Amino acid sequence: MNDAQLDELLSAPLPERDAGEFSVTLMEAIARAQSRPARVFSWITIGVLTAVIAAAAVYGAAVASHAALGTQPLLVPVLLTLLTLLLSYVVFQAARD
Amino acid sequence: MEELVQRAVARDVAAFSLLARQHQSKVRGLLLRLTRGNHALADDLAQETFLEAWRAIANFRGDSQFATWLYRIAYSRFLMGARKRKPDDQLDDWQGEAPSGEAGTHARIDLERAFAKLSPPESASLTLCFALGLSNTEAADALNMPLGTLKSHVLRGREKLKALLGGP
Repeated sequence: MNDAQLDELLSAPLPERDAGEFSVTLMEAIARAQSRPARVFSWITIGVLTAVIAAAAVYGAAVASHAALGTQPLLVPVLLTLLTLLLSYVVFQAARD
Repeated sequence: MEELVQRAVARDVAAFSLLARQHQSKVRGLLLRLTRGNHALADDLAQETFLEAWRAIANFRGDSQFATWLYRIAYSRFLMGARKRKPDDQLDDWQGEAPSGEAGTHARIDLERAFAKLSPPESASLTLCFALGLSNTEAADALNMPLGTLKSHVLRGREKLKALLGGP
């Protein structure tokens, strides 16, 4: 093979590749990348929400236990916290879908 | 800077999508050659290339062609991937299939097999300068190497190819 033949071979364009599936996958990846900050933010929000509600519930139970709840002062805050976690999970699932 | 690129820099997804469609074939072709015909790996790296381009598009100032900028990202992704690959996963011989329905298919396959014997800088230099039509300066910019180094890679790569393809 001489130089001219090699140049001709090297200069041949690379085979054309179909953009279809590649572009779809790429756009999905970009959409995921774009929604990531929103997902992180929603998780932080849910975490803060959980902490606030749990703190309020503990405080409420502590106050109420002096008057009416008697032997199980933590029952109400525990139930409220579990309920909050459950709701947060539901919110996350909905956001992910 | 062309209008489509300007719109993409302003984070217009539709414009970037069009740019990606325009350039995907050449970026994938370059990576396919660098990965020695490994289609799956080449396409994964091409996806990473365009995703990184989208993340960094706001930093694109138009100092080089958009394609050159993409090739630079693609080559650096390839090098990063090569560093991470385990010794068992190293790319050796050409793994691709014969392109069908093309004139000069045999010569093409022989060329790809010969390319698989070159080092990544040699393979990338030759592909950018010949098949993708970049000037030496643009190719050196894309590969982040001095112009003299690029020229020596081109020279050495050509000599190796000639020997592998049965040159005088």
